[in-house]
Amino acid sequence: MLIGIAGASVASLIILIVLFKLMWRVAEPNEALIISGSRHRAEGVGEGLGFRIVTGRGTLVTPGVQVVRKLSLDLNEADLDVECVTSQGIPVHVKGVVIFKVGDDAVSIANAARRFLDQQAMMGHRVHNVFAGHLRSIVGGLTVEDMIRDRERLTGETRAASGTEMEKLGLIIDSLQIQEILDPTGYIQNLAAPHAARVMRDARIAQAEADRQATEAEQESFARKAEATRNSGIQQAGYQAEMETATARAMQAGPLALAASRQEVVVQETKVAELEAHRKEQQLQADVRKPADARAYETRTKADADRDARISAAQAQAKETELKAGAEANRVKIAALAEAEATKARGLASAEATRATGQAEAASAEAKGLAAAEAARALGLAEAEAIKARAAALAENQEAVVAQQLAENWPEIVRAGAEAFGNVEHMVLLNGAEGMGEMFAKALTMGGTGLGLARQLLGTMNGATQPAADLPAQAAAERPRAQSIPVQED
Amino acid sequence: MVGSTGRVTGTVGEGLVGEVLLHVPQRQGTEAFLAYLAVPGERLRPGTQVVVIEHQPPRTVYVAPL
Repeated sequence: MLIGIAGASVASLIILIVLFKLMWRVAEPNEALIISGSRHRAEGVGEGLGFRIVTGRGTLVTPGVQVVRKLSLDLNEADLDVECVTSQGIPVHVKGVVIFKVGDDAVSIANAARRFLDQQAMMGHRVHNVFAGHLRSIVGGLTVEDMIRDRERLTGETRAASGTEMEKLGLIIDSLQIQEILDPTGYIQNLAAPHAARVMRDARIAQAEADRQATEAEQESFARKAEATRNSGIQQAGYQAEMETATARAMQAGPLALAASRQEVVVQETKVAELEAHRKEQQLQADVRKPADARAYETRTKADADRDARISAAQAQAKETELKAGAEANRVKIAALAEAEATKARGLASAEATRATGQAEAASAEAKGLAAAEAARALGLAEAEAIKARAAALAENQEAVVAQQLAENWPEIVRAGAEAFGNVEHMVLLNGAEGMGEMFAKALTMGGTGLGLARQLLGTMNGATQPAADLPAQAAAERPRAQSIPVQED
Repeated sequence: MVGSTGRVTGTVGEGLVGEVLLHVPQRQGTEAFLAYLAVPGERLRPGTQVVVIEHQPPRTVYVAPL
């Protein structure tokens, strides 16, 4: 009984467990359970969906009433392979890949469930169609160069354009990659041709340069190897030569030693001969040269003594003569000095006497001169007085004075006029005694003329008070006239 | 969602549908959302930090630079 009860309990428990297992559904992490068949409310979706979405947890499902279906939340992949035409009209073939998944939120799951629950395998194809349309549209606005150089832009624009539609589908684009842009016309290849050629050229240049450098390095290496070989050969030859030299020296060692010993013997014999010669020379020096030198020395000494004696005698003679001459000279000098002294004394005495005489004569002359001067002075004074008196007289009565003078000096005047004939040796008178008297009258007239002149002078001296014009017309009349006297020439 | 911060992975700007990556606490994961500018202005380059101003389910947000 007890066992029956226990068995029934276990069976019921098992039944309950089985029923629970049948009713309890658990959503895997990568799936969402879409439960339909009863009225449900989904979070964030609002009313009226009519199904329930469960993710990541378990839920009870009433078998036979509700239907549970799974929507995969795994990644899906859609390969893009789209024929496009660029803005330049060049057809290109764009290849890419889109990685997408159903969104994790309830709305996205609901959207995706309604669209793809029975067509999950077709999801990639749908997505491909969406992206193909957008991609064609975007590529149509770009150039091939833009697509190649800015592939990120192509990707971004495609993603942005298809994002909204993917949102409607409840899908999320995890990744979009443009993998390849093919060019059936060869445009891209031609576009890249210059660059490729340039790159190829650079590559060839680089290769040639590298080849050249390698060749240079190789040749330099060869040269260095040759140099090393040469140096090694030179060194080897040098060492060989040294070895041969050493060998030759070794071979010649015996003869060389013999020659050296022979040379030593010769040297010693030479030294002996030199010593012998030296000994003989010393012997000759002692036997011959020394006595000869002694004799020569004796002869030379004697000759020197004789010569010195003669020189001494001559020097004594010269000295004696010199002394005698000196004594004579001294004596003559002393006598001359005495004579000079005597002459000097006599001269001085004579000079003194002459000086005394001169002084006496000078005194006498002075006295005479003084006396004469006094006399001359007295005479001068007397004459001056006379002249003065005469001048006064002249001032008062010139004619009387002149007449007096003429009267006083008439005899001298006549004598002077006669003297003119005194030196005449022969005189021929053409008109006899009359001529004679005429001639004398003329001579005397000359004296009268001199008298006139004297008067004129006196007038001038008297301050021209009475100029020459005042001279008596008589005197002017008495002025002698030139008269030629015919003289008979011899 | 509103107030969440994230970063731009596709340029957000006028006339563009950008993309931002946001952390979603309810699902304990980071998800991509379509993004528009909340206030018209400069474009937001990838890498710019943004804050969510408005959320339109399921996957559209309006963001502003942080």
